[in-house]
Amino acid sequence: MKKKVLATIVSAAMVATLLAGCGAAAEQPAAQEAAPAKEEAAAPAADAAAPAADATAEVGDLDFKIVVKSFQSSYWQAAVQGVNQAAEELGVKVECNGPNAESDIADQVNMLTNYINGNPSGIGLAACDQSACLDALQMAKDAGIPVVCFDSGCPDAPEGSVYSTIATDNYGAGATAAENLYKALKDTIASASAPVRIGEVNQESTSESITLRGLGFIDKFAELASADGKKVAVVGNEFYVNGAKDKGDEATADVIIEVAVPAQTTVELCATEASAIMNKSDVLGIFGSNQVAAEGILSANENLNKLGTEAGKTILAAGFDAGSVIKGAIKDGKMFGAVTQSPLAMGKTTVETLVKIAYGTPVSDIATDGYWYDNSNMDAPDIAPNLYD
Amino acid sequence: MGEVILEMKDIDKSFPGVHALDHVCFDVRRGEVHALMGENGAGKSTLMKVLTGIYTKDSGTIIYEGKEIEFHGTREAQDAGVVIVHQELNMVGHLTVAQNIFIGREFKKGFSIDDRKMNEEAAKLFKRLNIDIDPTATMSDLTVGKQQMCEIAKAISHDAKVIIFDEPSAALTETEIEDLFKIIRDLRDQQLGIVYISHRMDEIKVITDRVTVMRDGCYVGTLITADSTKEDIVSMMVGRVIYEEPKTKSMVPDDAPVVLKVDHLCAGKMVQDVSFELRKGEILGFAGLMGAGRTETARAIFGADPKESGDIYVNGKLVEINSPEDAVKAGIGYLSEDRKRFGIVVQKTIAENTTMADLQNYMKGLFIDKKKEKKVAQEFVDSLATKTPSVDQLVVNLSGGNQQKVVIAKWLCKNSDILIFDEPTRGIDVGAKNEIYKLMNKLASEGKSIIMISSEMTEILRMSDRIVVMCEGHKTGELRIEETKQELIMSLATRDIG
Amino acid sequence: MEKKKAPAKIFKQELIVFLVVVALLIFFCAASEDFRKYTTILTIMDYSYYIVLMAIGVAFPLITGGVDLSIGTGLVCYSLAGGYMIVHMGLPVWLAMIVTILFGIVIGTLNGFLIGVMGLPPFLATLCTCMITRGLGSICSGNFGISWPASGQDGSWFRNIFKYTAGDTKIPLGFIWVLILAIVMHYVLNHTKIGRYTIAIGSNKEAAILSGINVKFYHIMAYVISGFFAALAAIAYSAVFGTVLPGTGAGFELEAIGGAIIGGVSATGGAGSIIGTFIGVFVICLLKTGLPFIGLQANWQQIVTGLVLIGSVMVDIVKKSKEAKK
Repeated sequence: MKKKVLATIVSAAMVATLLAGCGAAAEQPAAQEAAPAKEEAAAPAADAAAPAADATAEVGDLDFKIVVKSFQSSYWQAAVQGVNQAAEELGVKVECNGPNAESDIADQVNMLTNYINGNPSGIGLAACDQSACLDALQMAKDAGIPVVCFDSGCPDAPEGSVYSTIATDNYGAGATAAENLYKALKDTIASASAPVRIGEVNQESTSESITLRGLGFIDKFAELASADGKKVAVVGNEFYVNGAKDKGDEATADVIIEVAVPAQTTVELCATEASAIMNKSDVLGIFGSNQVAAEGILSANENLNKLGTEAGKTILAAGFDAGSVIKGAIKDGKMFGAVTQSPLAMGKTTVETLVKIAYGTPVSDIATDGYWYDNSNMDAPDIAPNLYD
Repeated sequence: MGEVILEMKDIDKSFPGVHALDHVCFDVRRGEVHALMGENGAGKSTLMKVLTGIYTKDSGTIIYEGKEIEFHGTREAQDAGVVIVHQELNMVGHLTVAQNIFIGREFKKGFSIDDRKMNEEAAKLFKRLNIDIDPTATMSDLTVGKQQMCEIAKAISHDAKVIIFDEPSAALTETEIEDLFKIIRDLRDQQLGIVYISHRMDEIKVITDRVTVMRDGCYVGTLITADSTKEDIVSMMVGRVIYEEPKTKSMVPDDAPVVLKVDHLCAGKMVQDVSFELRKGEILGFAGLMGAGRTETARAIFGADPKESGDIYVNGKLVEINSPEDAVKAGIGYLSEDRKRFGIVVQKTIAENTTMADLQNYMKGLFIDKKKEKKVAQEFVDSLATKTPSVDQLVVNLSGGNQQKVVIAKWLCKNSDILIFDEPTRGIDVGAKNEIYKLMNKLASEGKSIIMISSEMTEILRMSDRIVVMCEGHKTGELRIEETKQELIMSLATRDIG
Repeated sequence: MEKKKAPAKIFKQELIVFLVVVALLIFFCAASEDFRKYTTILTIMDYSYYIVLMAIGVAFPLITGGVDLSIGTGLVCYSLAGGYMIVHMGLPVWLAMIVTILFGIVIGTLNGFLIGVMGLPPFLATLCTCMITRGLGSICSGNFGISWPASGQDGSWFRNIFKYTAGDTKIPLGFIWVLILAIVMHYVLNHTKIGRYTIAIGSNKEAAILSGINVKFYHIMAYVISGFFAALAAIAYSAVFGTVLPGTGAGFELEAIGGAIIGGVSATGGAGSIIGTFIGVFVICLLKTGLPFIGLQANWQQIVTGLVLIGSVMVDIVKKSKEAKK
């Protein structure tokens, strides 16, 4: 039923677009012109059930390509699931692809360019690297192919190439982790006589989503600690140290935030970095900014056995995203909590947005939220659906 | 002599460019030592490799113990009792003596190899052969002569009925050779059939019962050793080929300038304190056994191996040679014994090979001047009488002798005045050999100076103006051709350095 | 005089590498307080298992004068295949482990066939299978990362093979298993036909052929051993790290080859020691685990490891040229 209604709206929009003299791969100014026409046309078309049958065939001709960062984690598994769900509901053709690993930047650019050459109706992109895709985005713009970025944005994209960015407010999500972690550690930090240390493991320093989360965490944590009169320093990986609002001075700091980035995005390398930090005696908390990094922390804990939920006595670990391993750890009290996004919704929204663009509906950026979850609210109705395996 | 145990009839075998065996017949009886003779490249080793299945024959039959057979590899031949002692050393350097002797048929204890038993058996074997070698020594630590003895021990350790010795004495000292003969006589008395490949006439007379002579891949004839003279055998071996007249005196005037002086050269254990002089227009022969250090000396002079100490003077001037490039600049050319590996690029044309060492003179801007290259190559083809349809012919399609001429052309093209020939006629057909000799004499008379390393005594005696003899890395003698006798060279070449 | 030289030489190499390991341990202990903990040993052990297993296996192709570059991506491929069967097909873990090993043997045989029978250069052949296993791994897993059963889940007993957990005490049992395997393979290399002929092929293949050895078969066997151990490494990796990501694994083989060469396996074939390899891998593992403790960033770690490798290959070359001069 829902499918039919949507098809009807969409087909009406298309008729309007055609009337406005534009093809399916409309350029943005044209699409905007068409937009008011759509609203007028939509209402009567919704009543008229008859044209829907014709239009469904047209909808089937829409052909979208989605490029994800990789298929490595179940986060992407959920996103792809969302994409496929939307495709089925809307009756459009969608093909998903992605490089083997999130660090295979060149492979991803290559895939993207190949897709552009195939001249699809639209492209959904989760860019591994903010800047590597810029040339390809220009190509897409020149070819009149609309692009929707999801998960990670491309802030420097050529004007008019990216129609919409659908992403978690990563900076905010990182800050959410910091807020929750700080809340739990506040008393311990306040009463500490010697400097304390907070760890952060980031899978890499090239993708916008991960760097924003990392920086969001650092900045928020520093802000909260400073508000309580503590001096904060950021050490470790240069990208994050230089990216932080205030890197501070390690010698005089009360709270040291240590950031580690492994050379490759594999669990065992994240684990090495995590265990080097967690081995230090002054560590109170640690944050893993995506699923691989969070699992690396848990893998390191297999030996160290230092994680727990008691501030001061154990290290409190904050993770990111879900997956069976992280969910299990939170349930068992190994991991303090994590921030989850809604990859499924994100995937769905991406396809829906692409369809809208194809029929000239104006679109804007959509920020999806990051939710903090821990042992207490895992099964809550607003959280549970986002916790994919 | 007993009945015939092995008979090879009408064996024919061709390789690209060479008709290696042309309907050859050969037989061995129980209890005899049958010599197989011929110049290098006459086809002796090829015939034996066909017998033991290393090569597949094109046609012909092999009858062994009354049945027609064809071995498909040394293993099959070994199992049937036909064993070959190779001319080249075929030892695994990283394994011990005993492990080498029993390789491929190790004694086993459960899953593992019974090294102790192998050592015991090897010790027994050596005792029987009267050789003093430790079965647990690592093969690469032994001298070449001792490695050769291990090879023989390995062959004998098989339950052999026919044993083929492929120039076993080439690397052995006099006493080792005598021990070997004692072993061979023992084996003959045990009614084994023995094939003895050699071109040392003296040995043939001492040890063998019959002699079969091959020439140019053809069967020439078989003689009873006792009934024939050395001259009979030599004339069968040489056949139609008329060699350059052997030198009886040096062709170099006493006042000829010294073009190359090597002074106390040391490079590893194979080159120890070697000094000599080479005069303009001279052919200086380097004699010695396999592994005497002659090639190593040449390579050290040429800069191919690092030298530890010593000086090299070219035309009276001290030159620093640290790489082949330096040597080529100094006017030295080296013609390797292994042409295919070091001398030529077989998949390139004659023209390309000719100019290879001197390419900068054939450049037109960034490109190679093909026209000039071909013209010069053609000149060398004419002057050296290289047999080829054109200079565009790939070198791989030429015969060994003509390949050697291409290498010579390469160095002449570079205008090298000092040429080091390392085994210049190895693997070259008998007929072509003489052309190389002629060419070397011609080059010498034109003022080029030549160092000729050769393991063939006849070649040394025929070509050299002067002879340097080496043994185990030391220079053990220097002889003028007038005063040289084969025996003298042999005794210097096998001198015990201690 | 000549007789005791060979074993002494190998022993010497092993001793030197062992001393290097001890020196590194002392260095890291002195440099970082946090390093001086039992848990650090557990961490080092965790890293060592899969690298040691790969290194023991790859030592055989190396000794034949070849190399096996497919073990890294192979490891990930076998582990993904095995994990897929557990997670998505409901196979019991023990059966999945057997399938994993069979998978490794098949790829090893393919390598051996390409090199020993078809005569492809080992570098090229295994580079191709490296790509093939990388792609195959992604296909096997449907392109998604796969987690073998985590501790506490059904079928997680296999994790206890490598790390026995009783309450809070953890015992790195895996060390014993890999040590036993190293000793067994050391014995295989030095006292069985397979080992002997592996050396013979690397030292003088022509001689091996002329001795009537079935060189093709033993050449294949070297790669089968390599594949088999890569599969054992896959199980070790899965047991220690749980999650395997498709598309990774390239680079694992370099650590294993590096360990083998540090441990005295000749880079040009013909000689090598499995016990040495075993010790050599710990040099790599110590660097990998220890360098973050002294605050070295990840990219620097790779540079240091690379430099150490160059150093050990140089030692091999210098040793060779000295031997040649003797």
